[in-house]
Amino acid sequence: MPSADPSDDLSDDRARPRSDLQSEARTEPRSLIASLFRRGVALDLQTIDLCFLAALSLRADRTGAASFQEDELFDVFEQVAELGASTTAEPAKKRGSHVVRRLREQKLLVRVDGAGVLRAGEYALSRLASAVVGFFLEDEALTRESLTILSASLVSCLEAVAVAARSATTEDAWRHTVTAPLRVTLFDLVSGIERRQRGFDLQQEEFQRAIGALLAADWFGAVERCTALLETTSATLRELNEILLGHGPRLGELLHEVQELAASAARDDAELAAKSAAEHVDRVAAWGGARQRAWSDYHDWVHRYLRDVVRLDPSRTLVHRLREQLAGRGAKAYSLTVASAPPMKLLRPAHVEPPHVPVRRPKKERDVEPELTTPRDPDAALEASMRRALEEGATGLAAVTERATEGHELDDRFQTAGKVAQILPRLATVRAPRERVWTPAGDGLLVEEWPIEREETGS
Amino acid sequence: MTDPRFVRLEDVILDECFPELDLALRRGRHVDRNDAEWYALLTDGQEFLEPLYRRYGCELIQKSEGYFYLLPTNERLGRRQLSASEMMVGQALALLYLDPKAVEDGGLVTREQVLGHLAGVVGSEALVVALNPKRKRYDERVAAETVRSKVTDAIRRLGLLGFVEQLDEERLRLRPSLMRFAEPVRGSGSPEGELERLVAAGEIVLKEGRDEPDAGGEADEEPSTDDDEDDLPGGHRGAEDDDGDHRGAEDDASRAPE
Repeated sequence: MPSADPSDDLSDDRARPRSDLQSEARTEPRSLIASLFRRGVALDLQTIDLCFLAALSLRADRTGAASFQEDELFDVFEQVAELGASTTAEPAKKRGSHVVRRLREQKLLVRVDGAGVLRAGEYALSRLASAVVGFFLEDEALTRESLTILSASLVSCLEAVAVAARSATTEDAWRHTVTAPLRVTLFDLVSGIERRQRGFDLQQEEFQRAIGALLAADWFGAVERCTALLETTSATLRELNEILLGHGPRLGELLHEVQELAASAARDDAELAAKSAAEHVDRVAAWGGARQRAWSDYHDWVHRYLRDVVRLDPSRTLVHRLREQLAGRGAKAYSLTVASAPPMKLLRPAHVEPPHVPVRRPKKERDVEPELTTPRDPDAALEASMRRALEEGATGLAAVTERATEGHELDDRFQTAGKVAQILPRLATVRAPRERVWTPAGDGLLVEEWPIEREETGS
Repeated sequence: MTDPRFVRLEDVILDECFPELDLALRRGRHVDRNDAEWYALLTDGQEFLEPLYRRYGCELIQKSEGYFYLLPTNERLGRRQLSASEMMVGQALALLYLDPKAVEDGGLVTREQVLGHLAGVVGSEALVVALNPKRKRYDERVAAETVRSKVTDAIRRLGLLGFVEQLDEERLRLRPSLMRFAEPVRGSGSPEGELERLVAAGEIVLKEGRDEPDAGGEADEEPSTDDDEDDLPGGHRGAEDDDGDHRGAEDDASRAPE
């Protein structure tokens, strides 16, 4: 899918081969989706764009042309524009230029001549454009014929691959005769079946709508046509499922053989390709069963409806009367009677309760006996530690403060330092000279030093 | 000719599915082909089960659309009448069952479609009045919410009775037993005559009008908004416990074998 807003850093993603992206999608779907998000992939198509692409595709089919000259392109656009009722006054040529630019930006139309500005370009529809147009133009639903042919081709292709795998000895032989056919031919054939299966699903959905519309338009008269449609579709689905079930085991057997041969020859690529093909084939085979089950439910429901509702009420009187009744215009209001047995009473086994003991709070002693406690005097403790410091020969306020506040937190020491200064003059004779030196009293604390005068014991 | 599955009543009763099926039928469950095992048991054991249930004062009814149910003819087993909201929603569902559009989706409808159909046929105003019978004045928003909640509740109860199969919060599958709601207006005769016949058979009960209080006690509880509670008589609220128990039992009844 094209990116609306390409950027340089994404060139790696774009340059990678598609096979790489597919293999990554199998192993790492999240990263691939993330890469699509990064690239900002988007499609913005208007009716005129789709009609123009469809007209180009039809013209290519009719004339057998692989590409279109610029003049041809605008010629086709003018014809398309004439068919649609345009509301703009813009000339067709100018509108054509816009449409071509939009389609080129979205990689739906590619320039194939490579002449650049030298001459007018030559354009072709891209694979994306062909797929988009194919969805609207081609009625590619799975039929008995197409499934038989595709399944038979699938079996013969796989038989050839199995024969090649049995005799392959070199790496080249494995690559060219086993891995490549599994990845290209088999993939294309199985994808072809899958694409038609999706077409069939779409047809079924439309078909269900058609049955509803037939009954709405022609109530009783539509019964036969609805029954015929139901039976035809049931038969087709049954046939398709039978074909898928018939070929399924043979395909599985061949792919299993190729996988085992590749494993024994240590050809990882071929083994991986066979494994991936087997998964793809299983998915295709499972479709038949799933659709038949879903269809069976729908088939039963519609049959019951045709039998119980349409056939028994050909003139739709019942619907009319019921509507009247619901709207309150009926005969009398009524109410349906339904059985309503009370639930069974399951009796519990008899259980003797122990004697009931009243819940009481234990008595609590309200008066507490007084206790003898020793009063704590923090100042006395401080004074004692200061005395010890003095006895040990502290020479000034800083030394006493450091010893008395040892082991305290900084804030606590700061507060205690004041008390030390207050108590110290009572314990010793201190001098307070005019110029007092700021002296460290332990870590982070400075005090003005007061030297302590000690009595000369010897004199 | 193949051997019959059951040769005596004992064989039917000893079947693995019987206890669940029996309880479900007694609680008003309608059984159709979608309940494959139950339906097969009823079809194969019908000749033994009919006399059995008759002894309990019930008829095991089989309808041509392919469904069974138990119809009590006396009070021995217990019976109830569907509420006004259940009847309205049931009739709307029956109309949807008869609508050709149902064919498109194989009988799948959404709750919103049911509401839309009801409003379309009955009319929004009339629907609000019918589902708020005790109210004299309406707040538009509260009344609409009441209608939605009553319809949802009615769908849930009809699901327990086997009239619809609730696939998820929004989607439900219509079942053939819905045709019971159309029974009185079927046939080529006059609806009055058909009503008389059904009343005599005990299939339906005639009502004075749509505004009549619901029978059975469990139906049509007011939603628990503050202003609604003011309108509820005290005795009515007291009935909710019984209702709750009963619903629990119905939940069991709704469990059909896969």
